[in-house]
Amino acid sequence: MSASMSGNTASSSSSKKSLKAFSDDIWKNKTAKINAELFTLTYGSIVSQLCTDYERDFAKVNKQLYSMGYNIGVRLIEDFLARTALPRCDSLAKTSEVISKCAFKIFLNVTPQIGNWSSNKDSFSIFLDENPLSEFVELPMDAARELWYSNILCGVLKGALEMVQMDCDVYFASDVLKGDQTTELRVKLNKILKDEIPAGED
Amino acid sequence: MAIQTILVINKSGGLVYQRDFVATAPRLSSNEYLILAGTLQGIVAIASQITPKSLQIAGKGSAKGGVEPAGGAAAPLVPYVGTLGATTASGTPMGSFLGPDYFNDAFASCNGRGLKHVTTDQNSLFLYQTLTGIKFVAVSTQPTTNAMAVAVAENLLRKAYCLYADYVMKNPFYEPEMPIKCELFDQKLGVLVGQL
Repeated sequence: MSASMSGNTASSSSSKKSLKAFSDDIWKNKTAKINAELFTLTYGSIVSQLCTDYERDFAKVNKQLYSMGYNIGVRLIEDFLARTALPRCDSLAKTSEVISKCAFKIFLNVTPQIGNWSSNKDSFSIFLDENPLSEFVELPMDAARELWYSNILCGVLKGALEMVQMDCDVYFASDVLKGDQTTELRVKLNKILKDEIPAGED
Repeated sequence: MAIQTILVINKSGGLVYQRDFVATAPRLSSNEYLILAGTLQGIVAIASQITPKSLQIAGKGSAKGGVEPAGGAAAPLVPYVGTLGATTASGTPMGSFLGPDYFNDAFASCNGRGLKHVTTDQNSLFLYQTLTGIKFVAVSTQPTTNAMAVAVAENLLRKAYCLYADYVMKNPFYEPEMPIKCELFDQKLGVLVGQL
């Protein structure tokens, strides 16, 4: 309990550490888990089925994964907020920190690195050092060029951020499955939907 | 104090859920409940406009005291009131949450300037608003201005939000923004309110 308290009482200097402790506590003590292999294999079978269904038109598969993710994101954000009751982030830097240390931690038990900020601070990258979705995956030759295997994550982030009134573009910039050095997810904030922020907030 | 009615209002001010827990509760027609929901939506917006500047500044002042959450400058913390109204038996499954309770720490109310609590001679009404704009409203059978009762109500409503996240949002056949007709949600909410 003391750990999670400190998460809420974080001052800017110590917020890094305490947000981490706060999320660790929620992940460890408050969240039911499932077998990671079951999860990975389920996702794998969905992607491979989609490839078959769309006759290996990988652009369509990407789009479909994205839209599935979007539908998950707009719902999952409620779970995230109910669980954490975190206040609104006052900057995109804070948002990025909450996404990596809190959201990825609680739902996927990974803490990706944040970096590659644009000069006007409106976009950043999420570097997935480990990706639970693609644990056992090797892309076939024909898919390696076009398919973004974990594209569902982009949709989830897009949907979730939209529900907290942030209009963002989210897309994969690189993926180790395609032979790249890193798995990089790019998030670009278009605008904050000010008119839709619920009345009563400060 | 018992809970008489719980309402859920979606982000556009539409009533998506209404349930009475007390048999003697005065019956309102569904149209009247819709009007109540819309009115509350409007009043919250008005309240956020007319909250005195001094209160807002006072809120911000205490934030500098170092007890406020990092993200919201003036968001007041709601204390955790213990397992009151939660599953008492730790063996009971709680959806995607691990027991014994949905959460166990003080939390920030993001509704810093809006309406949170209304008291009349007969009832009190409590309102919990989420970042996505959903409002959870509880009406009690007795009027109260007790800070503890307000904290209990906010805890209860956040737990209702946890149930909503599990049994409404994760129901694949529920369409967002539409009236909630989920039996599991009804059932779990009944248990939650019953244990209060």
